[in-house]
Amino acid sequence: MNFSDSRFSKTGCPTLAAPLFLRLGWVRTLCSLLALLTASAALFAADTPAPKVIAITGGKLLTVSHGTIENGVLILADGKIAAIGEAGKVTIPTGAQIVDAKGLTVYPGLIDPETNFGLTEISADQMSNDLEERSDEIMPHMHVYDAFHSETELIPVARLNGVTNAVVAPSTGDTIAGQDIFIQLYGRDRDDMIMGRDVALAMNYGAEQRRRGGRGAGASSFPSTRMGLITQLRQNFLDAQDYLAKRDAPAKKDDAKTDDSKKGEAKKDDAKKDEKAKRDLKMEALIPYLKGERPVVIGVYEGYDVEVVMGLAQEFHLKVILNHVTGTQDILDRIASYHVPVIIGSIYDSPRAGERFDAVFTLPAELAKRGVKIAISSADAGGPASSHSSRNLPYAAGFAVAYGLPYDEALKAITQNVADMFGFGDKLGSLDVGKMANVVIANGDPLDVRTDVKQVYIQGVAIPMVSRQTRLRDEYSNKQ
Amino acid sequence: MHLQRPLRVSCFAACLILTALCAALPAAAQTAAQTVPQTAAADIVFRNATVMTASHGTILKGSVWVYAGKIAGVGITVDAPASATVVDATNMWLTPGIIDPHSHSALDSDINEATSPVTPSMHMIDAFDNRSADLYRALAGGVTTELLLHGSANMIGGQAVVIKNKFGFDRDAMLFPNAPGSIKFASGENPKRVYGSRDQLPSTRMGNFEVMRMAFEDAKHYMADWDAYDAKVKKGDKDASVPKRDLKLEALADVLRGKLYVQIHCYRADEFLTEEAMAHEYGYKIRAFHHALEMYKVAEKIAADQTAIATFSDWWGFKDEAWDAIPWNAVMSMRKGVKVALKSDSDDHIRRLNSEAGKMVHYGGATEDEAIRMVTLNPAWIIGVDDRTGSIDVGKDADLVLWNHDPLSNYARAQKVYIDGDLFFDATLPGLGTTHFNGVMHDGGGFGSDDEEDGQ
Repeated sequence: MNFSDSRFSKTGCPTLAAPLFLRLGWVRTLCSLLALLTASAALFAADTPAPKVIAITGGKLLTVSHGTIENGVLILADGKIAAIGEAGKVTIPTGAQIVDAKGLTVYPGLIDPETNFGLTEISADQMSNDLEERSDEIMPHMHVYDAFHSETELIPVARLNGVTNAVVAPSTGDTIAGQDIFIQLYGRDRDDMIMGRDVALAMNYGAEQRRRGGRGAGASSFPSTRMGLITQLRQNFLDAQDYLAKRDAPAKKDDAKTDDSKKGEAKKDDAKKDEKAKRDLKMEALIPYLKGERPVVIGVYEGYDVEVVMGLAQEFHLKVILNHVTGTQDILDRIASYHVPVIIGSIYDSPRAGERFDAVFTLPAELAKRGVKIAISSADAGGPASSHSSRNLPYAAGFAVAYGLPYDEALKAITQNVADMFGFGDKLGSLDVGKMANVVIANGDPLDVRTDVKQVYIQGVAIPMVSRQTRLRDEYSNKQ
Repeated sequence: MHLQRPLRVSCFAACLILTALCAALPAAAQTAAQTVPQTAAADIVFRNATVMTASHGTILKGSVWVYAGKIAGVGITVDAPASATVVDATNMWLTPGIIDPHSHSALDSDINEATSPVTPSMHMIDAFDNRSADLYRALAGGVTTELLLHGSANMIGGQAVVIKNKFGFDRDAMLFPNAPGSIKFASGENPKRVYGSRDQLPSTRMGNFEVMRMAFEDAKHYMADWDAYDAKVKKGDKDASVPKRDLKLEALADVLRGKLYVQIHCYRADEFLTEEAMAHEYGYKIRAFHHALEMYKVAEKIAADQTAIATFSDWWGFKDEAWDAIPWNAVMSMRKGVKVALKSDSDDHIRRLNSEAGKMVHYGGATEDEAIRMVTLNPAWIIGVDDRTGSIDVGKDADLVLWNHDPLSNYARAQKVYIDGDLFFDATLPGLGTTHFNGVMHDGGGFGSDDEEDGQ
């Protein structure tokens, strides 16, 4: 299993820092070395039996991108979808392993847009948690990949219900909590599972974000209020802009000189200057987001908080994905007017007292109706992601259908739309030729709680349908 | 509500009506009867429904006749009079009202009296807020009866209250008339954490159980004093001195006298066995283990004691004692002879217990009948009201839910909810959909799980 997307370097050099690194010769060498090592790791991985060509025949294919094929054939080869179509119209390669999916439903692997996979094992057991850094409100330089524990027992549990990919984000206490990774839920080690590092900046805003000074009257230090949090955010983004300007300014001056002098000399000068400038990792971390190169996921619940934080985001031209938004019933048109994608989670959050019981249940439908590109997360009611419940992701989407979301939109909200939001839309999210062969076979409607997932494929590999929980089940089923 | 999820430590102890309450209840019920609009004696008949009876299978294109708040007939046809109000239930499903045997709704933040590990004289009715929005939302999810339990901070918690979810009615009118009393016990991590963090007893499971034994020894001594006094009085001894009345010991005595159903928050297999051994030693019965996430490991043994379980469908991993939780627990335990109910312990899940039951079709292959029983008749048994509600049978209370879709799927929405034959919720109405509620609802606060207010 290897990822060719150069955007997501597996060398261990944070992508965002690469431009600076690359001006330093020794670092370039180091990176090349690491790249070599990575390449050999990929060769090593190739020692494991290559995925066979698999033909899934007779199933009902929910393609997500081009409707339903009632009696379809899906060919998986080299970890990718090689062909898809109606039975009889797709040639089954000789020697392909035939998987009879008659009476079964076949669909792309589900993608959970907010989890804590690998950052938590037992919620109450502090030593098993690496959810967030509590020392400051502004922590953009925290990288989830540094903590991601790929052997977590939570991942097999989720993938048994058809979740094949996920965004892993820090917990939501900090206004800027760190940077997310995008993973697949299978692989021999961390590097096999992380498909993208620093894919998004995790931001949060509202009543519950940590304030070092405590909250409200009696607070002893800054910030203690929403005003404080926003001002602090604005100052940090300004600082990062200044940092960027300063960092790049000398180089530009030298470039101007270079026109008239020898290039070699100028380069030397440039390197000298960079060696002197101390890198500020916190500021560096914000730069790709200030440049709009990658999305900022803003977790926010209340309508007026959305308006405030979107004001800030627009001020700095951030590329926003809104998250949660479960208290925004009053400003749905406004949200649509931002033209940003929205993750809804938890659909099970409580409405306010006096609101109709389904005021939150109907949010996905109401936003989709307004043309908003939506995703649905597995977050539990009243809180952010709970990866223990990630296996219930399809049921949240089904619940949205019960409250008015068209079925196709619901399926998209946990597949293609999530892939699109995080930059994997061309690799994941639908049953299309050339996409990764992340495919699920189930005995019925994927969004219904009664449905049993029979087989999950990730990059064309039939995943063992076992978890710690199935092992316990089997052990005690057989015990006399 | 957007805090990180609190440790889900639930406790249990629920009990319904306490001693004191036992005495007070009939009076309360009477008052209610006088002040609450009486159910009209009119007939209602549901026609052409898929009737999931919970007791005797599913009737396709079935009818149910309701008269004077009770179920008067059920079958392919019923003998309802021509004057009956007809509810056309074509393409709809009719089930008994959903029953939650483990809720902390409508108790504001007064779930745990976490000031002592033994608080049996607490009565949840004293904290019951009948205008809580959580009741409304549960009603909209088809919940007609709830057991409101004390939290899990204490080895011996307080006494529960059983309500019918007649949202909009007076407090007294929402009490389930003459429901048996229950008391909540807890075990494991919560008590030891709550008291251990204060350097108090208990801080270990050893301490946990010893606290219980000591309490029961006190109760036995108290009972002996009273027995001696009663014997003296019986003999005509007019100088016999009256022992002091002690609410705590009186409540514990009621446990030993078998007057209260014992509902125990308990996760681990070894602790089920210890709890049963202690119940045998002191002569009481355990009605149900709540949470009971490891029941699949020892279900045969517990089945012999006729103790039921009220469990989560698929929660796991929130703390150490939930690490061996598996979603097949409910069905595996059921197959080994344990009566199984699903419960919410959550203001969220209480709104969709029907589809939690649906998950049991997926996890272990429960039949439709078995699954629906886990959220109707079986929880009714745990509460001790299965003779009056929990299934669609002639003579039972007309607690009914009409669904727009198969209630075991997550596509189902409750369309109409009836309690004692009276319509309390109708999704087709504008606004809230309530029929008896006026005024202002209260925000419940928190998640309604018994861990959240346990003194952490």
